[in-house]
Amino acid sequence: MTGPRDLNAQIESLVNRLRRRQVVGSWSVSLETALLLRQVVSVARWNQVNVLINLVKDVGGKLVMAQPRELAVGNIVRRVLRLIRDVYNSEVSNSNTNLTSTSEEVEDDDKDYEDDNVIKSPPQKSKTYDLQSYSGPGSIISSSFFSSSASMINLLGDGSPTIISELQELINELENMYVNIADQAMEHIHSNEIIMTVGKSRTVEMFLKTAAKKRKFSIVVAETSPKYLGHEMALSLSQAGIDTTVISDSAIFAVMSRVNKVIMGTHAVLANGGLISVSGTQMVATAAKHHSTPVVVCTGLYKLSPLYPYDEDSFNDLVAPDPVMSFDEGELIDKVTILNPYYDYVSPELVSLFITNTGGHPPSYLYRLINENYDPEDTVI
Amino acid sequence: MENEGNKKSIKERTKAKHKEKQSKEMNESSNKQVAALFSHLEIAKGANASLASRDIHPAVLVIGLQFADFKICGANARCIATLTAFKKVIQDYKTPEGTTLSRHLPTHLSPQISYLVNSRPMSVGMGNAIRHLKLEISTMDIDLADDDAKLLLCEKIDNFIRDRITVADRVIVSYGLQKIQDGDVILTYARSSVVQALLLEAHAKGIQFKVIIVDSRPRLEGKGLLRCLVDAGISCTYAFLHAVGFVLKDVSKVFLGAHAFMSNGALYSRVGTAMVAMMAKEKNIPVIVCCETYKFAEKVQLDSFVMNEQGNPDEMVNISTTSTPKAGLLDGWLHKPDLKLLNLLHDLTPSKYITTVITEVGMIPCTSVPVILREYKQV
Repeated sequence: MTGPRDLNAQIESLVNRLRRRQVVGSWSVSLETALLLRQVVSVARWNQVNVLINLVKDVGGKLVMAQPRELAVGNIVRRVLRLIRDVYNSEVSNSNTNLTSTSEEVEDDDKDYEDDNVIKSPPQKSKTYDLQSYSGPGSIISSSFFSSSASMINLLGDGSPTIISELQELINELENMYVNIADQAMEHIHSNEIIMTVGKSRTVEMFLKTAAKKRKFSIVVAETSPKYLGHEMALSLSQAGIDTTVISDSAIFAVMSRVNKVIMGTHAVLANGGLISVSGTQMVATAAKHHSTPVVVCTGLYKLSPLYPYDEDSFNDLVAPDPVMSFDEGELIDKVTILNPYYDYVSPELVSLFITNTGGHPPSYLYRLINENYDPEDTVI
Repeated sequence: MENEGNKKSIKERTKAKHKEKQSKEMNESSNKQVAALFSHLEIAKGANASLASRDIHPAVLVIGLQFADFKICGANARCIATLTAFKKVIQDYKTPEGTTLSRHLPTHLSPQISYLVNSRPMSVGMGNAIRHLKLEISTMDIDLADDDAKLLLCEKIDNFIRDRITVADRVIVSYGLQKIQDGDVILTYARSSVVQALLLEAHAKGIQFKVIIVDSRPRLEGKGLLRCLVDAGISCTYAFLHAVGFVLKDVSKVFLGAHAFMSNGALYSRVGTAMVAMMAKEKNIPVIVCCETYKFAEKVQLDSFVMNEQGNPDEMVNISTTSTPKAGLLDGWLHKPDLKLLNLLHDLTPSKYITTVITEVGMIPCTSVPVILREYKQV
C-alpha cells in the first residue's frame, strides 16, 4: 500500500515535471493529473467529505500553480471535485430520504442555475442520482448538518470505492478521447471537400485519418511559422494517403475562398466559447468568417475551462524570439522589439461548432456543459 | 572482339535510356505535385542565359537573371530596371535597311520582352510602361533622323520614370505626411518602397511615431525594411504574420504598398496583404494604400486565383531566418506523392478592406481607380 510519503513524492514529481514543461500537451497532462488524483483519493484517510475535498483542492492548487497556462490541469481537478460532491450527495440522499426536504430549506438559491429538474446528467455518470438532492453550495451546508449522522459511517465504507470507480471512468473517458471524437468524422466530411487546418493537433489528425478511410478529400495545411507545426501535420497526413498541400500563413486569405470548411484543434476552450489556440488561429478564423466558411473545433471536454477571458492577453505567453530573428542578425536585435506570441484568442462568434467526445455542440451550449461538469466554487483553485 | 564491342554499346545505350526515363519520371512527378488549384499558373522556369537567342541584349540578360533570382524585387525597382535596360537597347539599336525605326523597333523589342517574361512574369506596372513606350515609338515622326529619334525616345523613357515613379513617389509622401501624427503606431507589411520613403520622411520631419513591421515567410522582405528604418533611428517592432492579431491591439494606422490596382478597386499586392487588411478592418483600424497611378490596371479581378504568380515551392522547405539555409521537415517532399507545397507570391485584397489610396493625383477611395484611368486615357 502506498504510504503518504510515496504519494508526496509522486505529487512533487508531477509538479516538477509540469514546471519544467517536461509533460507537454493537454491530453498527457490531463491523464497524469487524473491518475495522480486517483492515487490521492485512494490513499486519503478522511471522515468528513470536507476533508477529502480540501485535500484534493490542495494538491490541485499545487499542480495549477506549477503550470498556470496549462488550463487542463485545473479542469481535471474541478471534474474530480465535482465527482466527489456528486457521489457524496447521492449517497446522502439514498440513505436519508426523509431529510432531503430539510436540506432544501438550508440551501440558498441565490445563484442563477438553470432549473434543477431540467438537468440532464452527463452520459458517463450512472443515472441513479436523485435530482432533487442536487444543490451546489447547499450540499456543503447540509454536509455539516449531517456530519454526525450515522450515514457518514456508511459513506466511509461505500463512498470511497464509488469515488474511485467514478474516477476510473474519467480516466477511461480520457483514454478513449481520440476515438470518440474521430468516430464522428463521417458525419462532417463529404467527398471532394477542401478542408483547411492550422498547426498540429492529434485530435484533428485522427479525425481526418478516420474520415479518409472512407471519403476522398483534400487538405490545405497552414504552416504556423515560426513553430512550423503545420509541416509535421502535413507529413503525417500525407503519409496516411490524404492529398495535402502546405501553404504559408500569408496565403491563408487567398486560398480561403476555395476552402469548404476549417477544422482545427485548440489548446483550451474558455467559458464563453472562446478559444485559446496556437498563434495564427485568429487569422484563419477571421478569414473564414469573411468567406462564411464554417469553423469546426475538435476538442475533448477536458479542455473546457470555466474561466472567462476578461483580458484577452491573460492566457497568452510570449516565447523566445529566436525563431523569428536569431542572434545571427548581429546588432540589429538590440535595437528592435521582437514579438513571438505563442497563443491566440479566438472569440466565440468566429466558431461554428465544437465536436467533443459527447457530440457536437454550438458555442452557446458550452455553459450547460460547464454547469454539468464543474462546480462554481471551484472556479478559483 | 566485335561481339564484346557490341555488348558494351548495348549496355551503354540501355543505361542512357534508363537515365532518360528516370529524369522524365522526376519531371512528371514534380509537375503532378503542383497544387491542383493553381495548375493554371506555371512556375517560372527561371532565366537560362545559355538558351537565349543572340538577339537578346546583354543588359536585358542581366536583369532577366536578377529578376529570376529575386535580386531585384518590388514593382517600382523592376520597372525602373526594365526601362533603363530598354534605354540601352534603344541606344545600341540600328535600323536595318528598308524599314523605319517606328515600324521595326517594336519587333526588335519583342524577343527581349518575352525573355524577361520567361524569367519572371511581368508586373502590371511594367506592362503599362512598355505599352506607353510602344505607343511613343509608333507615334514617332518618320522624318526624324535615327539618332535624333533614339535620343527623343530615351528622353521620353526618362520622363516616364521621372513623372510616373520618382516624382509621383515624392508627391505621395507629401500627401501621406498629412496622415501621420505624433504618437501614431503604424503597422506595415513586407517591404514597400513608397511606404519606406514615407516613414523615413516623416521621421526626418520630427514626427514622433512607432512602427510595427509584420513579415512573412518565405521571402522575409520586411527585414530589409527593418534595417533601413532602424538605421534612421525609428523605434521598430518586428513580428511574423501569425502575431498580427496580437500586435494590432496597439496600432493606430496601417500603411500598405501595392503591386497593382485593379479596375474594380481591388488591391493586388504581396501575399499576406489581404490578411493584414482584413484583420485591421475587423478592428476598425484605417488601412491606407500608397500606390502610383502607373500601377493601375484596366482589368478586373475577383479572387487571388485567376491571375497570380507561383514561386519556387522549394523555398518553403528552408526554415531558417538567416542567409544560411536550414532544411526543415519538408525536405524530400518530392518523394511523397500526396504532399504538395504552394508558394504564392501575390494575393487580392477586396476593396471593402481599404480605407483610402494615396496616389500622386490625391487621396482617392479605391473605387475611383477606373475614373483615374479614364482621365489618363483622355489626355
